[in-house]
Amino acid sequence: MEVEEIKVPLRDVRKTIKEFYEEDKWHFITVNAVDLGGKVELKWFFSPYGEKERFRVVVSEASYDEEIPTITYLIPSAWISEWELADLFGLNVEGAKTGLFLEPDSPKAPLRRG
Amino acid sequence: MGNRITVPFGSQHVALPEPIKFVFQTENERITSVEVDVGYVHRGIEKACQTKFKYTQVGYVVARVCGLCSISHTLAYVTAVERLMEVEVPKRALYLRLIVGELDRVHSHLLAMGHTAEVAGYENLFMQTFRYRETVMELLELLTGNRVQYDYACIGGVNRDVTPEVAKTLKERMKELKEKCLWIKDVFENDLTLKYRWKGVGIVTKEMAKEFNVVGPPARAAGLETDCRAEFNYLPFDEVGYKMVVRKGGDIYDRNLVRAYEVLNSIEMVENALDSLPQGEIKVPVKGLPDGESFVRVEAPRGELFYYVKGSKKLVLDRVRIRVPTFANIPVMKELFIGMDYSDVPATVISFDPCLSCTAR
Repeated sequence: MEVEEIKVPLRDVRKTIKEFYEEDKWHFITVNAVDLGGKVELKWFFSPYGEKERFRVVVSEASYDEEIPTITYLIPSAWISEWELADLFGLNVEGAKTGLFLEPDSPKAPLRRG
Repeated sequence: MGNRITVPFGSQHVALPEPIKFVFQTENERITSVEVDVGYVHRGIEKACQTKFKYTQVGYVVARVCGLCSISHTLAYVTAVERLMEVEVPKRALYLRLIVGELDRVHSHLLAMGHTAEVAGYENLFMQTFRYRETVMELLELLTGNRVQYDYACIGGVNRDVTPEVAKTLKERMKELKEKCLWIKDVFENDLTLKYRWKGVGIVTKEMAKEFNVVGPPARAAGLETDCRAEFNYLPFDEVGYKMVVRKGGDIYDRNLVRAYEVLNSIEMVENALDSLPQGEIKVPVKGLPDGESFVRVEAPRGELFYYVKGSKKLVLDRVRIRVPTFANIPVMKELFIGMDYSDVPATVISFDPCLSCTAR
């Protein structure tokens, strides 16, 4: 498996994705968060169409309160992954609404550890 | 100005097998905007996997994410952990996983096709499709011991071998199943009424499929050549005659035909796998604790299933992330409804074969 990780500061995430993402070539899989305690590690996963086991992963970190830039300007379908981050991790994702996955009386940010 | 009406579709609706809610704003029955709610069956499975269960148990927990593609969830999880722990799975186990995985695809596709026929008002075809699906359920029970929650794959291999008697019965009944599925394919392909109802309805173009990162049969029906069976090496599909089914129409008709042809290819793969089933062990012992991260893409019946697993030498994993195919296809569905007649909504929704127990988890 070939994995190319690109680590960037949060403010550069959109710019980095914009530099390589072409919808004819790249398939956006999802954005994933892992709680590190007080902050999260974020990974945006991409895979090129027609190639076997190749991934490009954009990696960044964000504190719980920091605003995470949306990539829906580049990839319109990313809103659902971003709204999930807002619901399940309680993250402040630019433009994301809460309540898509959790009901109003659900525990807040259930995927944060501790 | 037209007649503006707000139409709620779901969470409980006669066309929906599972709860999802769309709120449509319509003008003269044409949809002008839509809101979606998918969280009715959120069960906190990811949370449970990273707090309550040992990594050896998680494969059985994630099988409960979905009753229709439980083997895909288990397969994705065990493959991720096996790669993380560098476990070499016996070839026989890989073949057995492939057989169960493809039989699962057959029954899931038949279910989707049956539901679409039902929504089109073709009750008889719905019943016939489900009747033939029953044969697959019986074969899965014979092979795994269960009709739905198979718990078949485990870290290091599979939990149950196939005996020569079972293999013989499977081969015989696969012939019978192939005949039935050929008939089903012919009806879905050539029935005039179905063509009138489905052709040109709910079209996802190839451009839309790329723009919205569509996965699974809806992507392939739109002409986008993407299938994790070709793009990720998790089972020996190349050795048993895998063929990617791609069409160009992108409408309900083509989404069903992709499924119909995939059913036939899956049957062929199962027959080939049974004929060339390697001898040897079905499971290897697994020692140690997962350390690091791993991610995999698996082709579930509805499309790309992505699993991310992270461990730190503990019995309980730090993170289990599940990105299911319906989750990936919700954005294009939402886009597709704008400008559509409300009367085409039920058939369009069902033609995506949405799985909400997967999406909400």
